[in-house]
Amino acid sequence: MEVGLDIKFFQRERRKKEEGGVLIHQLYIVLHVTTARGERGKCEMAPLKYLEQEYPILDSNFQNFCATHGIFSEEDLLLHDLHVLVAFAEQQSTSERLKQGITQVLSIIDGQHQPWLNGMELLEDAQLNKHVLSTGCEGIDLLLQGGLRMGQLTELVGASSSGKTQLELNLRSQIQKGDCQVQLLIVDSMSSLVTPILGGGGSQGHALMTSAGFLLKKLAHEHNLVVLVTNHTVGGEGGISKPALGESWKSIPHVRLRLSHDQGSSIYNVSVFKHPSMASGKAARFTIYD
Amino acid sequence: MEKVVGSPREWIDRNESAKTMLARVLTARPLLLLPPLHRVPLRVGNVVELVGTSPSAKTHILIQAAVSCVLPKEWNGVHYGGLDRLFCLNVLGSLKKIDQEHMDFDLWNNDTKKSPTYDEELYSLCMRRFLFIRCYDSFQFLATLKTLHYRIRKEQELHGISVHILMIDSIGAFHWIDRASTFMPLGATNRKTPSLQTVSETVVQEIRKLLLLHPMLVIATKATIFGDRYSMETKRNLGKLDTSNSRSMSSTSLQLPYREYMPSVWQMILSFEPMTMIARSIFQNGCSHHRVLWINLLSKRPVSSWSHELREDLVCSLGSFLISNMMPIKST
Repeated sequence: MEVGLDIKFFQRERRKKEEGGVLIHQLYIVLHVTTARGERGKCEMAPLKYLEQEYPILDSNFQNFCATHGIFSEEDLLLHDLHVLVAFAEQQSTSERLKQGITQVLSIIDGQHQPWLNGMELLEDAQLNKHVLSTGCEGIDLLLQGGLRMGQLTELVGASSSGKTQLELNLRSQIQKGDCQVQLLIVDSMSSLVTPILGGGGSQGHALMTSAGFLLKKLAHEHNLVVLVTNHTVGGEGGISKPALGESWKSIPHVRLRLSHDQGSSIYNVSVFKHPSMASGKAARFTIYD
Repeated sequence: MEKVVGSPREWIDRNESAKTMLARVLTARPLLLLPPLHRVPLRVGNVVELVGTSPSAKTHILIQAAVSCVLPKEWNGVHYGGLDRLFCLNVLGSLKKIDQEHMDFDLWNNDTKKSPTYDEELYSLCMRRFLFIRCYDSFQFLATLKTLHYRIRKEQELHGISVHILMIDSIGAFHWIDRASTFMPLGATNRKTPSLQTVSETVVQEIRKLLLLHPMLVIATKATIFGDRYSMETKRNLGKLDTSNSRSMSSTSLQLPYREYMPSVWQMILSFEPMTMIARSIFQNGCSHHRVLWINLLSKRPVSSWSHELREDLVCSLGSFLISNMMPIKST
């Protein structure tokens, strides 16, 4: 259902920007299908009448009562004040049954969100599942305290020919062969997919960009993957180049690294823009041999 | 809730003395000292917002507050000085390695208090007091808020202590997605269409109800998403703030480097103006650190209604602290 809706408002954008549009469309559909397969508690916002089969207390009387308050589906329930609804239910003749229905609906809502975890469970998950993947370059590994961590979204920012693709090749060679689990997901490059739809004054472009970012992070967490995206640079104030994709994208990746390359040599510079456990500005140099 | 009074005399008579009132309020709504924001008068029942571009140590402050919250005042004779309460963290979007940092923090706390061994029991007790949930869209967030009351009640029965702090990281995460959602309005006209406005109103409503039932401090972080057009101005102001070293300054030229994008219904629930964090990397002793300045506008006072110039004095308090390697925070 969600996929259908997104194709709809995506097609409006497509009239303006043909090529790039198709690519982001496909990326978004792929990401969504992948998450749907791995999901446990599905949050499908069904209309109330479909819930009647599973929960007979939500009968037609309940549905009519809800309809008088403008509630036809689970989404509407989430936007409504349930205490006010209970107060209205008290005035009805079938108040007991209606209140039981509301309680049932509340427990359905309780299944709509992710499970609560406490600190110990989080720690266990981190120690068992979220290992570190070495990049194959000593300099970067030292900088990042071991390499890229599973469950995190890492962004590589750099102008063209600054070593991004070489780093990805290095990373791919680090994957252990024969292991059936997917360990690495690379999107090269995020900026060329997203930039064509960002303009135009509407908010659909930014919405798709942030949704794609959240889906990537969700995939990283649930399937214990290292997710790597690349970004290019644009001119900023005073001629200093800054990462593309704008301000909204800045807070989405967990780790942001800046790559640059001295002309003609095989020495690359990497510096940290953002990292959850170190100050930004730390830098290192590394060499990539062909 | 006013009771009917029998005579005018009864209405004039006082309900309680100032002493009893203060005693009641200070126990029901205690002040919370959370380093490094210990200069700000945070009380249980307040809703606070921390704003900053990314990265500006906002989440780091949350973790620091989390650790102070879950540590007990005293354990095995060692004084930790914590708040000894439960802590709820609501992450919108996704999480940034919180558990690793948490563990490091607790270990650090153990070291500085000079305790000889790493206390496993205390550690697991504190970690279990830290409650955490992720939300991937606004509807999941709303579902969490609606069922939070029951969850908190369950946890309070389990642990025997109440929740003191609820943190939302970050509140503007779904802003673009909500803005762009254009659902076809079907059926009845009294149906609410999910839009940025309705979602924000419902969020605010749920938080208000929650605060009535479970008084706690709500801290929300917010990332700036409308670019820093004032960045040059900010850099100059940062220089001024650093050197002036005064606790309060009135400056009409102090422009905040971001544009407010949350709907007004959210801004109304805040107890203070949003606190802005501005972080800069500095190099000291061969390591890079983050120097973070926070600015809190406390009040706006119009100077005089008689004068022809309408000048408003912005009184703000500010402080700065240093984060080295994301571990100990030294307040300056």
